[in-house]
Amino acid sequence: MTDQDDAAELTEISRELPALDLDATTTERIAHRARDQVGRRPSPLRFVEPAIAALLVTGYLIWAVLKALEALGG
Amino acid sequence: MAADEPAWIDGLRRGEPAAFDAVFAAYRQRLYGYLVRMTRRRDVAEDLLQDTFLRLAQHARKLAPDTRLGAWLFTVAHRLVISWSRAQAVRAQLAGDLPAREAGGDDRSPLGALVESQAQLALERAFAQLEPPYREVALLVGVEGMQPAEVAEVLGQKPDAIRQRLARARTRLAAALGEHAPAARRKP
Repeated sequence: MTDQDDAAELTEISRELPALDLDATTTERIAHRARDQVGRRPSPLRFVEPAIAALLVTGYLIWAVLKALEALGG
Repeated sequence: MAADEPAWIDGLRRGEPAAFDAVFAAYRQRLYGYLVRMTRRRDVAEDLLQDTFLRLAQHARKLAPDTRLGAWLFTVAHRLVISWSRAQAVRAQLAGDLPAREAGGDDRSPLGALVESQAQLALERAFAQLEPPYREVALLVGVEGMQPAEVAEVLGQKPDAIRQRLARARTRLAAALGEHAPAARRKP
């Protein structure tokens, strides 16, 4: 059997599967939520948190290096 | 691919809600059917459907003009199912159980209430009994009408692997269906 034969038989078998769908309320809820996001550009605020974290880490590293140099220098 | 898809993609790239509505109407039911049959849970399928369309909305402006929406959406849905399955397995292990065996289309199945005939029930059960990799290929090829090469692309697998799964899925489904198999009914 070729894969085309397999596909044809699977299509034949699957034909009687009932169609499943959401209820109207759920459909509208999902559509509404996703529709609101269409074309929305990512907020620049998404950079704020990583920037603060980077500043804190960099500051801590600089402090640690200075302390190490201070200790080594006596 | 629907004839209107290039226009929908064009609209999505411009951020038009009407284009999103058209895509949602065209693919909602198909994706939901796939997600329900893969997760065996309607509530989870609803969540994953929402996530799928949220991702479409968030990527709308970045879609390539030649995007095949069906393949794109089913790829996202497939990845969400994989993530959900992994999370389920971890939760089950944390709870001290073996990874949960999937509900096998018994009377508690959410699909049980939806079927109209014994043949449909037998069909749902036969699909439910397939292991997920085979069930997924059977659904994408048999229900969605995708070509094996397209399924390979959606699932991120080699075409040979998909052909193998396809053959096994067909054999197992036909065996599970027995007298309910449409092909078998046609043959004396």
